Amino acid sequence: MHYVIIGNGVSGITAALTLRQRDARARITVISGEGDYFISRTALMYAYMDRMNLRDLEPFERKTYDKQRIDRVRAWVRDLDASRHLLRLADGRELTYDKLLLATGSVPNRFDWPGLSDVKEGAVHFVSLQHLAECERLTPSTKQAVVVGGGLIGVELVECLVHHGVEVDFLVRESWYWPMALAREEGDIIAGHIRAHGVRLHLEHEVTAVTAAPSGRVAGVRTNHGLDLPCQMLGICIGVRPATDWLKEVATPPAIGRGIRVNPSFQTPLPDVYAAGDCAEFTRPDGSPQVEQIWYAAKRQGEQAARAMLGDAVEYRPPLFYNSAKFFEIEYTTVGDVTRLPDDARSFFHRLPGPHASIRLIERNGAVIGFNMLGSRWDHTFFERWIAERRSMADVVPQLHLAQFDVEFGRAHLESARVAFAEYQRRNGLQAA
Amino acid sequence: MIKAGTAHWLLHDVKNRGLTAWLLSVLLTAFYLVLYFTEWFTPPARAIGLDSKWTLYGLLYTLAVTAGGLWVIRKYRHNRYQIVRTSVVIFVQATFAFSIPHLLKFLHQPEYYFSYLWPLKMDYLTPSYIFSLPLPFILYSFLGSALMVPLFAAFFGKRWYCSWICGCGGLANTFGEPWRHLSDKSSTSWKIEKITIHTVLGTSLLLTALLFISWGAGKSHPELARFTTGFQSFYGLIVSSMLAGVVGVGLYPLGGTRLWCRFFCPMAALLGLVQKFGRYRITVKENMCISCGMCSKYCEMGIDVRSYAQAGKSFTRASCVGCGLCAEVCPRGVLRLENKSHRDPQESILIQIQPAPSARPLI
Repeated sequence: MHYVIIGNGVSGITAALTLRQRDARARITVISGEGDYFISRTALMYAYMDRMNLRDLEPFERKTYDKQRIDRVRAWVRDLDASRHLLRLADGRELTYDKLLLATGSVPNRFDWPGLSDVKEGAVHFVSLQHLAECERLTPSTKQAVVVGGGLIGVELVECLVHHGVEVDFLVRESWYWPMALAREEGDIIAGHIRAHGVRLHLEHEVTAVTAAPSGRVAGVRTNHGLDLPCQMLGICIGVRPATDWLKEVATPPAIGRGIRVNPSFQTPLPDVYAAGDCAEFTRPDGSPQVEQIWYAAKRQGEQAARAMLGDAVEYRPPLFYNSAKFFEIEYTTVGDVTRLPDDARSFFHRLPGPHASIRLIERNGAVIGFNMLGSRWDHTFFERWIAERRSMADVVPQLHLAQFDVEFGRAHLESARVAFAEYQRRNGLQAA
Repeated sequence: MIKAGTAHWLLHDVKNRGLTAWLLSVLLTAFYLVLYFTEWFTPPARAIGLDSKWTLYGLLYTLAVTAGGLWVIRKYRHNRYQIVRTSVVIFVQATFAFSIPHLLKFLHQPEYYFSYLWPLKMDYLTPSYIFSLPLPFILYSFLGSALMVPLFAAFFGKRWYCSWICGCGGLANTFGEPWRHLSDKSSTSWKIEKITIHTVLGTSLLLTALLFISWGAGKSHPELARFTTGFQSFYGLIVSSMLAGVVGVGLYPLGGTRLWCRFFCPMAALLGLVQKFGRYRITVKENMCISCGMCSKYCEMGIDVRSYAQAGKSFTRASCVGCGLCAEVCPRGVLRLENKSHRDPQESILIQIQPAPSARPLI
């Protein structure tokens, strides 16, 4: 049996290791055009800021691949012929497989702003090793930068540029920072923190035009409010999309929607071809497409896709959403639904003592459905459990301390939250706990 | 990439085994060689009114720990564990490891360091020396090593000593902070560490046994007494001077700050064995690690913390000194230092959470 995996990200490598764990004899090949070894993409920013070396980004010792007999091929794949179980690589090599896993991940979104096509240099993304190299090459000749897009990658790139002494204008389309994930109050806390680091954060600003210098280097952007911002680097961080472009021109393209369409067993309609991770698109019970573009999900999917390839009966259901992050120094934990809520959802928000700490609980029909915590550490598994058990907010608030995960001596004080919650209950005509 | 500017280049160079790091390492090593094997530091010590070169060394050491410690407290001012721990390190160095022994001497008492214990300080269980001291010092030496060391390690892990009290650890975690990431994280270095540190521990136990036997029976067996004396000076030269001083501190800028603690210290070996079976561990939050590797990078003991974190496995490693930096640098708050006895959420949930009145069966 020869398993071939395209993509050496967390999904592909987790799949390869799971396959090896269960099948000692199979041949396993991982193909990547990006790099020779699996790296932690999420740590690119630490390499950029000189807190780590490139080698430190590799989550496994290099000898792991030999020990686990995982063959690595460094190439981009150009063609897939599922009828002949054949792959053709950019360097002309051909490779046959018995079972194939597409784990190609994501590529950054790009918007075709007027003038962007004239820019030959300086418009950067921050997702791959190649992007990191490009950013590092351009940084010494950059005094001012504009970063577009108020998500996680955007704020990471901003932090890196600030670290290198670059003046940054940070453009966010929405009226507060990251409404996809944060309510207004939290967005304001983060916005204040970003500004405190000397970043000029422009809310409700969008790019309307990009200008290039005669050399082809980006020279500036204009926003919808008529602001002209000179820059030598333009960071485009407006989200990512499944890396499927290359599949449109292959001999046997799989079904492609937002991503590569798979059933709950990770199978594409092509025989023996599976997909997992950022590039895979599932269908929700209501028929809408679902793509999980997050580290933990890619890891989970890689493991389960491998089980499906081994012949286990796998019925993948994306679990409750959770995530954590760090905006400069502010830590953030979220579980469940906290934004784009139905009208009958109630929200309890409270600022804890301390510079940036806050908690938010969302309740609907008497059961908590979401948590959004800033500025202190929490064990998300407790929140998951409380949501699964359909506990009420009145039940959860007095028990919040159980989920605290702060360092010793550094536990956030929750007394004020209990007082504020009693007030919240009175205000909403609820019985005090 | 390195921040632009000469100062940043220098900072990177000295922290990443560049030319300046090598120069500094040569200087530190030379300092220790001169200190141990010449009397060159005696005149300058006398000139500023100190009684010996060792007092001058103690003063310099305390200054390095204090200055480095204040800088570390500033750097990690948002982390109370680091503030408390570093304050204790500075306090212990300034009192138990410096001023109290000199005060004792001034009061015509033995110059005794309460922060050092056998087997790190072999003298304190060397019968010919320790039995020459007044009774309280004898009691402290024996009870400290036999009771306090293992008991505290069982409850809090070796950190109570290695990263809160010990002077070697104290210097590493303050003055040595810029080089903590240089420790080797490979699985090979882990294998080597297990051999070397337990060899030194075995040697120190053997020496202590010989010292007692020769103290009791040396008069009737002069050849045994001679051998023991020879062995004792060999151990003093190789372990206490060369490995702890010259290698331990001299190689800070090249091999990281805990070479001595990780590969050679018999005290760390002993505490580590207790720690393995004690209550201390690092708790890993399930499925939250993004494998970034900051924890491994900044582990001064060369533990590949990431390998546990990404597998979602809470763990206790014998070498972990509990400095808490892995938890500090983790961008997702995945790691937490814990002592099991103190019922932290992980355990208490099973006891404290009763079925909620509003709980309904899952759909």
